[in-house]
Amino acid sequence: MGRLALRAAAGISLAYILLPMVFVVWLAFFAQEIPSFPPEGYSFQWFLAVPGNDRFVQGFLLSLQVAIVAALIGLGLGIPAALCLVRSRFKGREAVNNLLLLPLIVPGIVLGIALYVFHVETEIATGWPILGSLGGLIAGHVLIAIPWTVRLITASLTNMDRAVEEAAQSLGANRLTTFRRITLPAILPGIVAAALFSFIASFGNLEMSLFLVGPGRTTLPIAILQYLEWKIDPTIAAVSVLQILFIGAAMLVTNRFVNIGRVV
Amino acid sequence: MSQAGHPAHTQTEESNTSLLSASTLIGPATVFVAAGLLLPLAILFRYSFNRFEPRRMMVDAFSLENYVKFFADPYYTAVLATTLRVAATCTIACLLLGLPLAYVLARTQSRFKNVLIMLVVLPLFVGNAVRAAGWMTLFGSKGFLNVTLAQLGVITEPLEIMYTEGAVIAGIIAVNLPYMVLTLQSVIEGINRNVEEAAFSLGAGPLTMFRRVLLPLALPGLLAGTILTFILGMNAYATPVLLGGPKFKMMGPLVYGQFQLNNWPFGASAAFVLMSATLVLTATANILIQRRLRR
Repeated sequence: MGRLALRAAAGISLAYILLPMVFVVWLAFFAQEIPSFPPEGYSFQWFLAVPGNDRFVQGFLLSLQVAIVAALIGLGLGIPAALCLVRSRFKGREAVNNLLLLPLIVPGIVLGIALYVFHVETEIATGWPILGSLGGLIAGHVLIAIPWTVRLITASLTNMDRAVEEAAQSLGANRLTTFRRITLPAILPGIVAAALFSFIASFGNLEMSLFLVGPGRTTLPIAILQYLEWKIDPTIAAVSVLQILFIGAAMLVTNRFVNIGRVV
Repeated sequence: MSQAGHPAHTQTEESNTSLLSASTLIGPATVFVAAGLLLPLAILFRYSFNRFEPRRMMVDAFSLENYVKFFADPYYTAVLATTLRVAATCTIACLLLGLPLAYVLARTQSRFKNVLIMLVVLPLFVGNAVRAAGWMTLFGSKGFLNVTLAQLGVITEPLEIMYTEGAVIAGIIAVNLPYMVLTLQSVIEGINRNVEEAAFSLGAGPLTMFRRVLLPLALPGLLAGTILTFILGMNAYATPVLLGGPKFKMMGPLVYGQFQLNNWPFGASAAFVLMSATLVLTATANILIQRRLRR
């Protein structure tokens, strides 16, 4: 009895989390344009119209490009940092660890303002037109890729058996060879997961990006937000469904490399 | 980390070189985050004391007038009050809704556990705008909720749900709930199941077990989840904009709006009011609960 009540309560919570997504999917298949219930019929036409919609296609391509580059730079900065955090003991290690994870906790709006201000000051100091530029946008997304990378790679390094590395070194391998031949293959699943998580976090980011996009440069989540401020119809629902599918697919791929329940 | 296997005499030498290589390894990422987050926050704080003049935008100054303007104007204090009210309501709701789901997820032996967790995580990454679209479909005057209620004969006139505080609260709860569930789930998973069994075998009912055993052990996680949810609620942006409409204002949209108007000094001070309010409240809650725990 108590067990049943508990499960029912859990089911209600899960349903509540998923409810808005269920309705977006439903709306995407409406035959009529006005989102009134009950629908007059069902149709696939809105999905077919999405590739012809320039705003969303451009937004998708920009988000894709930013997310890929940011995830790769995030790996470049995050892998060495994680190595250092796990393998060496130094003063302030805990503080550095917290700092690197900070962008995950700082709300998007605050991150966005902070970066905006930083871009303004950099532009004044150096004269580079960084405000609203692609580089500035990518740099912002690197900031949210770093904590994911550090977190996931730290976890896989901690789980790794150190003795194998020591064996390699005692057999005469130098540090670089040991890293390339032993450490890297061992933490490869963690690296792939880090890249995918960074990608997903960057691709779906809305609040921070609001401050970093320039004229004519809109990421997909911002394009969706701006459309919704104007109206809600099956077109935007279809775009949303495609985003859900895209991110869902990326998560399924990620789940092949790490157990998502363990790392989020 | 054990240094076993290394001869003792190389120890100091190695720790010197590793200190050097440590800074080259971790330096770039640290500098990147410090420069991209800490430094700008300091600059932003400085901005908040500057003066805004419509023609010249920002003028260097050192005055508290932006903060005075914020607290002297009932409009802005009302926005802050709304934000606090919405964030607090959503946090309590997330706690109540999140606990059962987190507990079931943590204790389930089902092979679909991973699928269930992915269902909780997916909305997090899909983004707030997409989920707001779902609520708009549900809440509109001809939306699912109104039409269903009318068909059931509960209402004759459609309810005004969109562009109300209730709609915003409903939306933010759904946005923040996954964070609460995931935080609680990982904490509950870390609690040995045997202590629960021990309580039951000593005759405790489920509620007593929860209150006397699980709750005290899960309290640090509960606190972490509550604080995270509260911070996210205070800083919500997309949900209040889309479900609250242009008239409903919370601090996040207010700050963004000031930056859009190029009033950086006032935007900066509003951002710091928001951050300080969040910080003070979470710190106070933390201290109060820790003190109760120690008794």
